[in-house]
Amino acid sequence: MKGSLLALVIGAAAIAVLGTSYALSQFAFVATWAIAGLGLSLILGQAGQISLGHGAFLGIGAYVEGALAVAGWPAWASFPLAVLVAAAAGWVAALPGRRLGGMAFAMSTLAIALLVEEALVRWEGLTRGAAGLAIPPLQLFGQTVSGPLGQFVVSALLLLVAYGCCRRWVGSRLGRAWRAVRDDEVAAAAVGIDCGALRSLAFVLGAGMAGLAGALYAHWLAYLSPEQFGLQLSFELLMLVFIGGVGRLSGAIWGAAVFVALPQLIALATDLLPARWAAASGTETMAFGVLIVLIILLRPGGIAGGRRQGRREAG
Amino acid sequence: MKRLVSLLGACLALFAGSAAAATPGVTADQIRVATIQDLSGPIAILGAPIRDGMVMRFDEENERGGVHGRKLRIAVEDSGYDPKKAVLATRKLLQRDGVFAFLGDLGTPVVMATMPIIVGAGRPHLFPFSPHEATYQPLDPLKFQLFAPYQDYMSAAVQEMVRNNGYKRVGLLYQDDDYGLEVMKGVEAGLARLGQTLVEKTGYKRGATDFASQIARLRAAGCDFVVLATVVRETVGAVSEARKLGWNVDMLVTASGYSAQTHELGGKAMEGLYGVSVMPHPYPAGANERLGEWIERYRTRYDAEPNVWSVMGYNVADVFIRGLRGAGRDLTVASFVHAMENLSTTRDFFGGPAYHFSAQDHLGNRHGRLARIEGGKWVLISDYLK
Amino acid sequence: MFAQVLTSGIATGCVYGLVALSFVLIYKATETVSFMQGELLMLGAFAALYVHEGLGWPLIAAAGAAVAGMFVFGALLERGVLRRAIGQPHLTALLLTFGLGMMLRGAVTMVPAASHEMHRLPLPFAGAHIGFGTVVVAGEHLVVIAATALLCLGLSLFFRLSRAGLALRACSENPRIAALMGVSVSGMHTLAWALGAALAACAGLLLAPMTFVFPGMGLIALKAFPAAVLGGMSSLPGALAGGLFLGVVEAIAGLYLPEGVKDATGYALLLLALLVFPRGLFASRRAP
Repeated sequence: MKGSLLALVIGAAAIAVLGTSYALSQFAFVATWAIAGLGLSLILGQAGQISLGHGAFLGIGAYVEGALAVAGWPAWASFPLAVLVAAAAGWVAALPGRRLGGMAFAMSTLAIALLVEEALVRWEGLTRGAAGLAIPPLQLFGQTVSGPLGQFVVSALLLLVAYGCCRRWVGSRLGRAWRAVRDDEVAAAAVGIDCGALRSLAFVLGAGMAGLAGALYAHWLAYLSPEQFGLQLSFELLMLVFIGGVGRLSGAIWGAAVFVALPQLIALATDLLPARWAAASGTETMAFGVLIVLIILLRPGGIAGGRRQGRREAG
Repeated sequence: MKRLVSLLGACLALFAGSAAAATPGVTADQIRVATIQDLSGPIAILGAPIRDGMVMRFDEENERGGVHGRKLRIAVEDSGYDPKKAVLATRKLLQRDGVFAFLGDLGTPVVMATMPIIVGAGRPHLFPFSPHEATYQPLDPLKFQLFAPYQDYMSAAVQEMVRNNGYKRVGLLYQDDDYGLEVMKGVEAGLARLGQTLVEKTGYKRGATDFASQIARLRAAGCDFVVLATVVRETVGAVSEARKLGWNVDMLVTASGYSAQTHELGGKAMEGLYGVSVMPHPYPAGANERLGEWIERYRTRYDAEPNVWSVMGYNVADVFIRGLRGAGRDLTVASFVHAMENLSTTRDFFGGPAYHFSAQDHLGNRHGRLARIEGGKWVLISDYLK
Repeated sequence: MFAQVLTSGIATGCVYGLVALSFVLIYKATETVSFMQGELLMLGAFAALYVHEGLGWPLIAAAGAAVAGMFVFGALLERGVLRRAIGQPHLTALLLTFGLGMMLRGAVTMVPAASHEMHRLPLPFAGAHIGFGTVVVAGEHLVVIAATALLCLGLSLFFRLSRAGLALRACSENPRIAALMGVSVSGMHTLAWALGAALAACAGLLLAPMTFVFPGMGLIALKAFPAAVLGGMSSLPGALAGGLFLGVVEAIAGLYLPEGVKDATGYALLLLALLVFPRGLFASRRAP
């Protein structure tokens, strides 16, 4: 409750200080990234698995939605399909590691992510390959969603839906089973939990959410190229969840805010620096790094983390 | 929901409308423009000199009193080559800074993601550093491009090379992205005119370090002429690999490999490499008086040597200023576009091309010229190939 | 032609392997995946460049100074920052490396001379070639292969014979028992980060003649990381083998396979290897 109030205050302040369209545009990206973060948070925080290739599922969602939107599909049909395809890819990616978990899981997701990026370059008929794919604005209920306000409203609503789903899952039998597998696989198996299937399920759901985020991203960006969905994005998403706080779902939202909005704030702040410093190329990167290090040192459990019970590693 | 969205949308439109009464970014004594560069990402090596060149030209103009009494202010944003950051930067520049135009944005993903927003807001999108056709075609009153497309000048350059030297088997080494694809189209079109096709084409991923397999393939195909759609580092890598094997085939690199760094880093092995130059490199030795003076000013100001990218940045700002001059004291987007569409420049002291714009054609230049590395520097060996 | 391409692949693979080694070295000793190896590599190369060209030291001395400097720098990072992560959820350290990496990259980019152009580090033999029958090997490739072999030999001697090396190994096997045996676990952490940074710097020096020195050269870590993963993340020979494997497969696939397949081959094989050897090719056989 306190968190959401804080978020509201920050949001209002941002609109007042930054101006409407700039602030809303940021919120739209924060919400979109938070959806992807939520998915990864299920995999990491609940099922206790590391995915090194989450950017790839975002890419799959983005390209499916992009290709369908270009082909003139309505959003109510293309969005679910984008989510489904990404979820299916998640299932495939979870296959090699589902039995073992841990490192094998991380490795296979890494390999899949690299292959997906390659496939996006090669499947030129669908993705236009390296030349990139221009995406028309989102059409929803006969309206064109192209301005920051519309983008924000759509992303925020979908984030609410995604958040609601995640809360239900986490609070249900499923969530308890995930945590049981995470904390002690042998004990979980002993009480009849199918660890492999549960891991796969976490991955399917997590990848599906990344797909949803990707579908939104495709429209907000209006242009897709395979290089946007490389390992770097996967690592960024991973960091996003960690910094927000792995144990809590709201961590994904905080993490997204850090990764999307913080660089913008830094850019605003560097404008105030003396010209000599502001002109140096790496200032913003360096400041972002410093802030990340500070956040981690001050809140090792993530921004939303607070006091969190330590998570034991498999092996 | 729908009603709410449209209501809020209407409010926003109202806001925008009230702001648009005066020309955004233009006041009695100031014109604000923006550029989105990569200063910290994978092509920061281009972004920094481009920015420096632009800022230098603007400051020069300001020292002389500005354009029609208005000082020029440029807001530089760093995208780090991340289109998401670039989109946010664009919104900021449009709203907070209220800039008049966007100038020389760098990188295709960045340009393609931000251009619709910029043009949608009614601001001119000028001279981006991206080979994508959409930056000038289909014709849009707000889009202008300065840089010759790879397709056009590579087609001309390959034809010229093949005609002069009678090559029979042409091969291509290309970077596996939009840049490489544009060059490939150009080379294939040029060869088709001469009734030839590429006998071998082989790609590499950006960031590749080793070109042994690609060179081996081109050699095995018996190429007598190899076109390189590479950037500096890969140009050096590929040419060195071929020379190491004793394969002294003629090679031609695009303007992206036409850089003093190519021979500085590659040394002796680069001798004899052909390249296409759209904008000549500013060599201090043998420079005309104005160029020499310009190089000196750049050096003292930035404590670095100017390169071809600094010249391009300078040029972008220069053509923009000419457009502003043409638009007169009564500056609006419409008067600026009208002035741009009637703008023709002559060759400048860098030896760069002349630019022509018209109401039907917003691409200023289509031509490049051939150059060759001789004695450790690029020597121009032809005029602009029309 | 095959042999020609193969030697190039081996040389590239050696660099991947060295970076992968530095990943694994740190991971084994501290259970942390370091996301700043690429930046350390870049910093090492820039340090050598600065000492050589800025201070005018001879190249060999500059290279030695850079590696030694990075060793100290790695130790300082551990003492100053990363140590604070001990006792926290252990992903904290990984996050710290991510932030530190950004700081390093930003700091180097802030120096105009570093960000405006690429630099050449004139290593000995760069540009020279040596013929073996029909195969011509570039001097820098030979240097890379020889240096990698020497470094590996040195490392394996260090781990087998020296006290510190044995202690480091004991620590990564079981820190609690090692501590009971009188090994300073925190000292070993410092040593591991120092070694990891020095190794990355070596890789940076060897990479310099192939890709030149510029702020983005650390991106090669994105290639070396899959190599480390392929090796099982916890085996030093495995990391080297993983790097060599990727380098060679890339080169050979580029020669024989059609466009569109060649770049994916390495990763497809990686996936296949995971299916067959789910713990990595060289993971220890011990039960987890």
